[in-house]
Amino acid sequence: MIEVHDLTKRYGSHLAVDAISFEAHPGEVVGLLGPNGAGKTTTMRILTGFMPPTGGTARIAGYDVMADSLEVRRRVGYLPERVPVYPDMTVSGYITFWAKLRGVTRPRAQVDTVLERVNLTDRRNTLIRNLSKGLRQRLGLAQALVHNPEVVILDEPTIGIDPQQVIEVRESVRELGKNHTVLFSTHILSEAEQVCDRVVIINKGRIIAQGTPQTLRAQLQPGVALYVEIGGLGKEAAARLLREIPGIESVERQGDGFAVRAGGDVRPALSDAVLHTGCRLLELRPVAMTLEDIFLDLVGREN
Amino acid sequence: MLRGVGTVFEREVGQYFASPAAYLIAFALLLLTGLMFNSDLTFSVTQKAADPALIPSFLSFAMVFFAPLLTMRMLAEESREGTLELLLTAPVSDTAVVLGKFLSAWFYYSLLLLITLIYQVILAAITQPDLGHAICAYIGIWLYGGATLAVGLLFSSLTENQIVAAFLSMSALLLLWLSDLAGEIIANLDLARLIRQLSLQGHYTTSFAVGIVRAEDVAFYAGIMAVMLFITVRIVESHRWR
Repeated sequence: MIEVHDLTKRYGSHLAVDAISFEAHPGEVVGLLGPNGAGKTTTMRILTGFMPPTGGTARIAGYDVMADSLEVRRRVGYLPERVPVYPDMTVSGYITFWAKLRGVTRPRAQVDTVLERVNLTDRRNTLIRNLSKGLRQRLGLAQALVHNPEVVILDEPTIGIDPQQVIEVRESVRELGKNHTVLFSTHILSEAEQVCDRVVIINKGRIIAQGTPQTLRAQLQPGVALYVEIGGLGKEAAARLLREIPGIESVERQGDGFAVRAGGDVRPALSDAVLHTGCRLLELRPVAMTLEDIFLDLVGREN
Repeated sequence: MLRGVGTVFEREVGQYFASPAAYLIAFALLLLTGLMFNSDLTFSVTQKAADPALIPSFLSFAMVFFAPLLTMRMLAEESREGTLELLLTAPVSDTAVVLGKFLSAWFYYSLLLLITLIYQVILAAITQPDLGHAICAYIGIWLYGGATLAVGLLFSSLTENQIVAAFLSMSALLLLWLSDLAGEIIANLDLARLIRQLSLQGHYTTSFAVGIVRAEDVAFYAGIMAVMLFITVRIVESHRWR
């Protein structure tokens, strides 16, 4: 549905997007994850037909964003980061305007449907200037969905709204994935992990990793990480004991216990060894590296 | 193309009727023209016949200040609020957006012009005005107004600040307007003629205002509109490259 190949965008001497390639299949929720200034917004602006790329190609539903810009724009719903509104219009007037501009055949019915969908029906005659930030966010979403686009592009939709609304927005993004292909950007890692089928991590205009949250984690965290806490043994002695167990690669102090990295499953050997000394095994649990750690690790390596 | 122009036009006209500023502008314009008409009528009793081109001739000066007020918001606000980004990702051409906005301003101005026809009705009720002369003057000032609005729209596209847009377009219109006077005092005849040919007023005072419609004057105003709108479209388009 979205095919990006070697996409490059240069502003003067500054390379904002550097030959990135990724794909999004129909019905997939893809997250663009990266720190501020990584090139997320620029990528999205190219995909929506707002600006032309300097190099490479981007296709949406088979249409090139440069050559068939109008066809692309018909098929894309876009919510920019700062939800742009006309404060003097009413909610339904605003949505109707975008519906007509995008050539919706029966605007009135479609506006009703979409307002129902984002739960704004009871505010339809409210002036936009009187809406709270969270409601504006929903209005922006309605605007992006009113022409029932195949692809929905959301630029940091959870910025600046309260935690309750953040949860709502995340749920609706997940929900969108059932009928649309969704590309959304965020710099909050747990969010990408929760919401996306696939994550594309970009930094300084380059893709540094992509895949499902699970594969990313598996790919970037070879071996197994365990947290071990041993009772009845000094710290030094415990560390020495752990290091002697075959298969364990590293042992690090962490709080009252140790973070252990191993090549394979060392749990049987570990518990045997501890019990053999007559000490108590207080805690033994696998530690899953969060995307957060992976991300910081990757970005750190880049920098 | 038509859908885009129509939708933008419809929204902008709605915006005029929803905003107090547009009503204030209409109020000020009608107050001033009303005063002018009243004093002209008083003079016409004793000193001279009522001038059928009175209101259009007054507007030829007033539009220097009113046209920027009617157009300053149009593109400056869109780019400030970020809605321009959405407009430029909608499946309509940039030309359609600009044209829709221009036509809505011209439409609103035409409505104001229609209201001032009341003075002609009053005149017709009490005397026998030269209707042909009045119609010519109105056609002229209608085109003249379109040209000034196109200039205003151009400056609105140049900046995000409405006040700056209004100030710049007032200055530009004043220059275009004054160049007619400059043309009158320049000794070099060819240069003077050239300057007068380029002035907004020069194509109105010597033709429409005295009851003549000349093709060259119509072409001049149409040309100004076309050139200004063309440049505006290019400037809007340039948002894609920044």
